[in-house]
Amino acid sequence: MPHRWGMAADLDRCNGCGACVVACAAENNISTVGAEQAALGRAKHWIRVERYWEGEFPDVRLKFRPVMCQQCDNAPCEPVCPTYASHHTDDGLNAQVYNRCIGTRYCANACPYNVRFFDFFNPSWEKPLQLQLNPDVSLREVGVMEKCTFCVQRIKAVTVQVAAEDRELKDGEITPACVQSCAAKALVFGDLNDPESEVSRLSHSPRGSKLLEDLGTLPKVTYLPRDTEA
Amino acid sequence: MDRRSFIKLTAITGTSATLASCGNPENALIRFVPDDEIVPGIAVWKPSVCPLCSAGCGLTVRVMDADAEVVRNGQAGVVRIAAAKKLEGGPLHPISQGGLCARGQAAIQVTYHPDRITQPLKRSGTRGDGQYEAITWDAAIAELLSRLDALAAAGNQKALAFATRAGSSHRHALVDQFLARFGAPGPVSFELFGDQVLRRANALSFGREQLPTFDLPNARMAISFGADFLGTWNSPVAQAAGYGQMRKGRPGIRGAFVQVEARMSQTGANADEWVPATPGTEGVLALGLAHAILAANLRPAAAAGRAGTQIDGWAAGLADYAPAAVEKVTGVAASRIERIARDLAERSPAVAMVGGAPLAHTNGLFTALAVNALNALLGSVEQPGGLFFTPRITLADGAAAPAAPSIEQLASGILGGSNAVQVLLVDGSNPVFTTPTAWKVSEALAKIPFIASFGSFLDETSGMADLILPDHSFLESWIEAVPESGSIAAVASVAPPVMRPLHQTRAMPDVLLDVSRRLATPVALPWETFDQMVGATFMKLAPAAAGGDAWGDAQAQGAWSGALPAGLASPPSVTEETPQPVPEPRFDGDAAQYPFHFLPYPSSAFLDGSLAHLPWLQEMPDPITSAMWSSWVEINNTTAERLGIAQGDIIEITSTQGTLRAPAYVSPGLAPDIVAMPVGQGHRMFTRYATGRGQNPVSLIAPLTEASTGAVAWAATRVKIARVGGPDGSLIMFAGGDREHPYEDLGRG
Amino acid sequence: MSTSSPALPASEQVRSDLLRPLLQTSWKFYVLVAFLGAIVVAALAAWVTQMTLGFGISGIRWPVYWGFYVTNFVFWIGISHAGTLISAILRLVNAGWRRPVTRCAEVITAFALIIGAMFPLIHLGRPWLAFWLFPYPSERMIWPNFRSPLVWDFFAINTYLTGSLLFLFLPMLPDFAIVRDRATGMRRRIYGVLALGWRGTPTQWHRLETAMQIMAVAIIPVAVSVHTIVSFDFSMAPVPMWQTTIFGPYFVAGAIFSGIAGLIIAMAILRRVLHLERYLHPVHFQNLGKLMLVMALLWGYFVFNERLVTYYGNGASEMQVFWRTQRLTFAPLYWTMVVCNFVLPLVIMGISRFRTITGCVIASIGVVIGMWLERFLIIVPSLGHKYLPYSFGTYSPQPVEIVITVGTFAAMTLLYVLFAKFVPIISIWELTAVQHPSPALIPPATAEHPLGETHA
Repeated sequence: MPHRWGMAADLDRCNGCGACVVACAAENNISTVGAEQAALGRAKHWIRVERYWEGEFPDVRLKFRPVMCQQCDNAPCEPVCPTYASHHTDDGLNAQVYNRCIGTRYCANACPYNVRFFDFFNPSWEKPLQLQLNPDVSLREVGVMEKCTFCVQRIKAVTVQVAAEDRELKDGEITPACVQSCAAKALVFGDLNDPESEVSRLSHSPRGSKLLEDLGTLPKVTYLPRDTEA
Repeated sequence: MDRRSFIKLTAITGTSATLASCGNPENALIRFVPDDEIVPGIAVWKPSVCPLCSAGCGLTVRVMDADAEVVRNGQAGVVRIAAAKKLEGGPLHPISQGGLCARGQAAIQVTYHPDRITQPLKRSGTRGDGQYEAITWDAAIAELLSRLDALAAAGNQKALAFATRAGSSHRHALVDQFLARFGAPGPVSFELFGDQVLRRANALSFGREQLPTFDLPNARMAISFGADFLGTWNSPVAQAAGYGQMRKGRPGIRGAFVQVEARMSQTGANADEWVPATPGTEGVLALGLAHAILAANLRPAAAAGRAGTQIDGWAAGLADYAPAAVEKVTGVAASRIERIARDLAERSPAVAMVGGAPLAHTNGLFTALAVNALNALLGSVEQPGGLFFTPRITLADGAAAPAAPSIEQLASGILGGSNAVQVLLVDGSNPVFTTPTAWKVSEALAKIPFIASFGSFLDETSGMADLILPDHSFLESWIEAVPESGSIAAVASVAPPVMRPLHQTRAMPDVLLDVSRRLATPVALPWETFDQMVGATFMKLAPAAAGGDAWGDAQAQGAWSGALPAGLASPPSVTEETPQPVPEPRFDGDAAQYPFHFLPYPSSAFLDGSLAHLPWLQEMPDPITSAMWSSWVEINNTTAERLGIAQGDIIEITSTQGTLRAPAYVSPGLAPDIVAMPVGQGHRMFTRYATGRGQNPVSLIAPLTEASTGAVAWAATRVKIARVGGPDGSLIMFAGGDREHPYEDLGRG
Repeated sequence: MSTSSPALPASEQVRSDLLRPLLQTSWKFYVLVAFLGAIVVAALAAWVTQMTLGFGISGIRWPVYWGFYVTNFVFWIGISHAGTLISAILRLVNAGWRRPVTRCAEVITAFALIIGAMFPLIHLGRPWLAFWLFPYPSERMIWPNFRSPLVWDFFAINTYLTGSLLFLFLPMLPDFAIVRDRATGMRRRIYGVLALGWRGTPTQWHRLETAMQIMAVAIIPVAVSVHTIVSFDFSMAPVPMWQTTIFGPYFVAGAIFSGIAGLIIAMAILRRVLHLERYLHPVHFQNLGKLMLVMALLWGYFVFNERLVTYYGNGASEMQVFWRTQRLTFAPLYWTMVVCNFVLPLVIMGISRFRTITGCVIASIGVVIGMWLERFLIIVPSLGHKYLPYSFGTYSPQPVEIVITVGTFAAMTLLYVLFAKFVPIISIWELTAVQHPSPALIPPATAEHPLGETHA
């Protein structure tokens, strides 16, 4: 059976620290756009920790919610792309083929989660910052849409290794950068087709829900809300 | 065209094209011999230690081949090197446990920073303007030697001062040993957000002068008085890991969490119950809780032991701290105090934490002692689910250098003429940026005849140096830390260099050892190299397996952890002194003229500003405001409405110390009489990414201190505010909206 | 108005009047062409700059990934409905008054389409790869994604453009022949080629008649489908206030609406500049004005329908966009649009006293502005306020987008000016019905719609 990658975010563990945000930039060669471009709304954060205020002082609460590509099974970004740059892989990922992207940005408009980011300029790294670039992740040129891939390069590395060793994949063996960095272990990644995996268990938790579930996008990221009772 | 001429023509064009490409300047670059240890395309993982804060998290570093432009023997060229690619938390490290904070993730940019100082520099312009010329290492060390020799020749060794960051590591121990044997006072360390008050209180209450470690995974309730323990305080990665366990790590048990603070921090945002108390009264609230526990006979007063004796009236049940009285002082409802107190007593084990703003008042010690007593009353000291003190390792034999003056005393001594410092060495510390203006540190430094810095970057302090001896980055040198907290068992981190140095830099500890040997009167230090010194400690530690080698194991894993052999543990600090701290805080600025409490706080990205040069951290949205590349002032939304201040409007904040202007972030998450501002931006000189960006709130802080420690009472300043203009675009936000359902009221109206 | 049989201008008079622009060239023409040409060149330079420096010099941003360019695209495709659709319908119902109007209208279609079709290119992140939209057999056998509305757009616009050009060109044949017959030298040869050997034989007239009937019938569904498919670009995406079944007819109605307005403005300018008062009468404006009034009512109905359904349905994400446009940031633009598209045409066109040429032009200018705003207000507020408030964003156009937008208006004018210079902008043969061998092609001159009458 093919794998079906999924993620679960336990908001009772997530404390909003933002480590995943920087880990993602480090792993995926996401270029820093600088203050001027950031002010124009061009900052690229494949994963972001949304925060929402609730109530008024002194009865005020703040909610954190990490949002990355939800890798929808019924992804609105896919059918709208005229060149198949945005398409569905066999293991359920919403792949973005950078080379095939012509930059209509239609996919990003169709995405209800706003997790697609456009390269408004050719990315640049002031020397020697380019030494940090991950050779496993391609750079994106101007005019291309980029997005969270569930760290497909890490998935591939492990699945190829597992195939070479002719064994079963172990749960937790693959960790995307955000999952790896999370000290509180709020993010869990794994194979949804493996009923024993931690992510399967959390995805079927009665606490779980999907983001914007009623749109019918069938996301593969499950959110477990913050508890209020001990 | 016949076949012959076609072939000829092809040959000619082909040759000329080849020749032309030979003329490309890129091809003229010299390729140096590559690192032989690296296989192209294959990643190896090596241990390291995060140097950015004192938590001492262990790292694992992904190393792969890369083409680096380097200078070798004065000639530029390209070399294939084994380059660090990504930092992750060391999976087996007892503190980071595989996790890493945002700052740690960005630490790699320290190594690859485009504005890193690449070779020794000598000042060529006027002091502070950042004009330098390159010199050789030989010349640089000779210059330093001549200055130190001159001091020794004049018998004036006391005129050497050494400024470092606070922390506990062999590096600090080496500096201390060097100074002691040279005859100079010990290192001057200053941390704006240092925890001297808490260390002092812990020494008084528990006999341990260090920060505590919390056993959150086993706690059933945690109450934090202002401690941003999930963000910036103490050992955030270890605490975040523990917090995750406390919440969801045990089937059927979810630890409760209450946060007491006047401005909602990232940590406070996660609390089940967020309790805003009047600033400076957190200790009173802690004793109010203790009173309620005692009054309900949930715990005996004697349970607090020594920590209780530090509090006036403890044995008598804290008669002055009845809930109604506490409500008047703190603004927290009496019924709420009683409820939380009952919860704390019943949900055992429960632990109390204190840190940050509550201790940055003139009554900080009182507050810390009060929370310590509460902890002791709850029975959480050195108990599962409570707080622990990591056993400390003695790092170097030999007498320590005599205690140095504080940076404040140093500056006033220099300016007052009582302390004629001749030579100042600076290592990783930037007191010009982080000290209150009234201390005049910058002016004092200007009077020192010779300043040398080991810094990798030009900042406000190293920019005043006459000589710069740039250090390796942590990935290029031996790196170690002996964390004072974050692990219940003793822990020491160490790692050999991950990669070869990119630039013409030298490791500061080795430079110091080199200098000590080459002085006219050599300073006798028992180590040839720094790793020898570190190794000497590790050799004494118990190996993980019998017949093993703790030093070898530690290098392979990045850390050693375990039980300390007798004789290697630092003794508990015993202090007989019993100060009588005052419960009432003092504030700078008259409440009528300056109606707002000013609350600077360490920014999630930059801590005290020492990380503002890292572009990833500049572009990381702040957890609360989502601001990037910005400074801002947080102000309560009802207050803002009253003063006609909207999001992004420029407001002017004035204290008795000065004035600054910054954009407003209007938020419901802080008390109406508070304005809060993150520290970290406002650098006058700190690389291309931070220079001239935002405002430094430290410039408004009044020079009030906590009496017994001399720590800056950075939360004790009062200010007034005024709107001076509309948005100027300087507040750059990632988020578009603050509320999940923004227009509910419009629908109803 | 006279009810007696009108005195028609002599055929020769018609010819000399309508051919005058082709034969006489004043210095004003050159100044105008130079001025408009400069703006067009500036716009092209802006586009080249955008490709060279990066798309970032525009105001597009996360999450508002479409802005002025797509607004202009929809706007110009909308304007293109002026012509073909109007003239085809009028031809089919054989409305007599349409004779001097049809060509003006059809030219608008052709040029507006060409300009509109530029925008999908201009807005691409990597326009040099735009050919990937063509279904060509590449060596890797990668075809365009036929599920994407953008690919449907590609086909719909190409079809419509081809049809419109044919529809414009066919009835020009007899006029080219007239010019050919009067011209000399190089001109004679060029117009000779363009006339495709038109001799005016009964067979040719019969074939022309048949072709025009087929084209008129065929072009109407194509025109309707084009703007429906343009509306699909929006309504197929799960974006609040986009995903609605009303968008197809709403867009088609809006397109015809703005098309009529564009036509009225073009006619008024031609009438003034080329002194065509004898051919373009107030009655033409009045009739188009009445048509515009109908479309204004229809547009108002659609907007009311769309807004009421949203409001009553009270879906959380829709309401975020709803309030943004109705009451908050975009309210000034929104209410300007309502005034321009509904209040203004209703008042001016609804009261016969105001239904003068000036009145029609004022209302039309309002409608053009209003319809441009309508497209902007469909695109930007929805994209900027899509579901998760943390990801809300604003949009403000940058100079490059403004220059290109202005440039397209200049390009439209320039193309129109050049066309009117080289081709009789009013169909000569349709006005000189007397000599016409195939009277069936020419609608009857009725008492209400006399031909050639000069109104004082």
